[in-house]
Amino acid sequence: MKAIHHALALMIIAGASHTVHAQETLEIIVPFAAGGATDIVARSFEPVFSEQLGVTSVVRNLAGASATVGTTEVAKREGNPNIIGYAPAGSLSIQPSLKDLAYGPDSFTYICRTTSNPMFLMVSRSSDIEDFDQLVAASQEQPLLYGSSGPGTLPHLAAAALVVESDLDASHISYSGSGPAMNALAGNEIQFMADTETILENYDLRPLAVFAAQRIEGYEDVPTINELGLPEMEFSVWQGVIAPKGITEERKAQYSDACKATLESDRFKSFAENAKAGIAYLGPDEFESFVKERFEANKQVLHDAGLID
Amino acid sequence: MDIILAAVGDAFAWQALLAIVVGTWAGIIIGGLPGLGSVVGLTIFLPFTFGMSTITSMALLIGVYCGSVYGGSITAILINTPGTPQSAATTFDGYPMTQQGRVDEALGWATFASFFGGVLSCVILIFCAPQLAKFAVNFGSIEVFALICLAMMCIVGVSKGSVMKGLVCGMIGFFLSMVGSDPITGADRFTFGSYTLSSGLTLIPVVVGAFALSEIFVRFSSRDDPGAKIPEARLRLPKLGEWFKRWIELVRGSLIGSFIGALPGTGAAAAAFISYATAQKMSPRRDRLGQGEPDGIIASESSNNAVTGSSFIPTLALGIPGDVVTAMMMGAMVIHGITPGVRLMVDQAQTVYSLFVVLIIVNVAMLILSKPSIGLFRYLFRLHQGYVMAAIVMFSFIGAATVRGNPLDLVVAAVTGILAYALRRADYPLAPLVIGMVLGPELESSLRRGLLIKRGDFFELLTHSGISMALFSLLALLIVWTVWSSIAQWRAAARNQPSYD
Repeated sequence: MKAIHHALALMIIAGASHTVHAQETLEIIVPFAAGGATDIVARSFEPVFSEQLGVTSVVRNLAGASATVGTTEVAKREGNPNIIGYAPAGSLSIQPSLKDLAYGPDSFTYICRTTSNPMFLMVSRSSDIEDFDQLVAASQEQPLLYGSSGPGTLPHLAAAALVVESDLDASHISYSGSGPAMNALAGNEIQFMADTETILENYDLRPLAVFAAQRIEGYEDVPTINELGLPEMEFSVWQGVIAPKGITEERKAQYSDACKATLESDRFKSFAENAKAGIAYLGPDEFESFVKERFEANKQVLHDAGLID
Repeated sequence: MDIILAAVGDAFAWQALLAIVVGTWAGIIIGGLPGLGSVVGLTIFLPFTFGMSTITSMALLIGVYCGSVYGGSITAILINTPGTPQSAATTFDGYPMTQQGRVDEALGWATFASFFGGVLSCVILIFCAPQLAKFAVNFGSIEVFALICLAMMCIVGVSKGSVMKGLVCGMIGFFLSMVGSDPITGADRFTFGSYTLSSGLTLIPVVVGAFALSEIFVRFSSRDDPGAKIPEARLRLPKLGEWFKRWIELVRGSLIGSFIGALPGTGAAAAAFISYATAQKMSPRRDRLGQGEPDGIIASESSNNAVTGSSFIPTLALGIPGDVVTAMMMGAMVIHGITPGVRLMVDQAQTVYSLFVVLIIVNVAMLILSKPSIGLFRYLFRLHQGYVMAAIVMFSFIGAATVRGNPLDLVVAAVTGILAYALRRADYPLAPLVIGMVLGPELESSLRRGLLIKRGDFFELLTHSGISMALFSLLALLIVWTVWSSIAQWRAAARNQPSYD
């Protein structure tokens, strides 16, 4: 009997200590599994960010369903000032159009955009395709295949938009991540893919064009999509910090100041350089209008490519 | 040469050695606890590596990884509950050996096979990485599909008694793997409008339910004394003569594991099943497989540990992570300023060589630490069985919940446990359920990718390449052989029946 009493007492203490703990801790939801590319950025962001805010924080990985599970968790905590999410582009600007989700672009308080990397159109270096015209010509001889890291991801959308707008004849195959897709590209199972500079640098790939308004520093000889005589297309892989709706303006300002300071810190800068994450700060208002603008643009692409009605 | 010496020096620095011992030891314990597997172990240790040097942090993570793959076999053998999905195939022969009182021998084989597989795959990694990576690149979706079909044949072998019952369970597992987002189109399947289901069911909660929870239900509902002790386990490594008799099994399992590990997106659990299926066809003692035959343990454990070394092949040679675990390692490398990719072997030769040395030391450390680890489990299991089982339930749920932090996974574990208990009561084998769940997603997506590539033409799928044709022919042969031998068995049984006319 005594053992049971002790156990009960212990449980109450454990429970109570948790409540105290919860009030002082900032919960940072990362909608990806621990160790993934986004998780690593988030985990490098977190210590500097909480130092700036002067709070302790815990990173909670809540993965699944193209990052929408974790993003939903943030949206659900309306009015809670102690939770933020480190969200990727897909779950904020693509998934709400594809799926029936509990959130939309209006469900958050936007804090800041942290990083953004433009996407490149690329082929394997072992292929003899040197530019976009050759890719189009090859596709008219025999229809090509392009890969992506999953259905409804940015690599899928960027390539789909390109196929819709150009004479390129190609269809989509999705893989369970960038790695398997790169394997398929190296083995000529697929012929081209759209992805970021990180991927371009890590594998044996040749860039044909960049999905950006201007040419990119370090890749001056890679033309933009617009220069190829096609309508302007901007696709980039970005991430940002979001909070639930209904937090005070004061809290919002604290968060965005801390975010700005984090991105300007040497510690985060040196990490970003290693990880090839392009720091691209946008403040709360600019970030909000940016997300909404991307949401509409992606919706249009999904519609044109026949992925939604 | 200087580089190699410097690399060896880095790997033998005291910080690295300490990290190896701590990592491997922790890995074995984490792997041994049902529910907590390689990924959970790495997640726990990843944050500690931020302040370490590159080699030290790699040493810690590799130790945890290799240790956890081995550790899973300990509980698989002792209490019929694989500590990790990678060791699920070890239960087929490991637990029967325990029931026959040969637990020390079973642990010895598992330990030795793990060590052998780990070291052989390191050697392959060191000498054949570029060649194997090149071959793996040519192993596209269609070839993977053929390989997974072959592995599926393993269901027939592990369905003791009734193939039909085995197939039913395989289908259940396959079906469970389909819940969630469609891998090709992203559409929701079997979610019944529930948002939480759209992220699908993951392997760990299902394995935890199917093995750990159902085992506990079985133990507590049986008429045996619930206070019965789990057998005292000691490690008895096989003698030289014994392993010499089975060296072919060791080498075959290790080679299969090394090869599967080099393919992106398959992993150690699939390797163990494929290796077990091969042993069912090729082991000279195949008739006794499933009844407590060391060859079964060897097939499973040598191959899953061989994956640990060779999964670095695509990572180091191409920068393509072979599975979740190597993806996490790549993440850790990036934090330390090393970018994995095609130029890694050239730009960072010293780091890569140190990594090789670390891998080998980890395997040796695993062999040395196996004895105290098993001793620890023996000490824990000396407690009243009720406490042990309660702890296992707790760890199972912790493991299920930490995989991706989704509360749904707790429900999945509990429901699978009850379903698995009912299936066991009705004499349905559970292994096919896990096989279906492990291999199902890759079977489905590789087939659908193959059909997209061939624009829906099944015949072209079969004649895609030399490799795929060879694999499909082998599959056809195996099917004919299996059907033929079961007809022969059935006839022989019928002949031996006394006739009553």
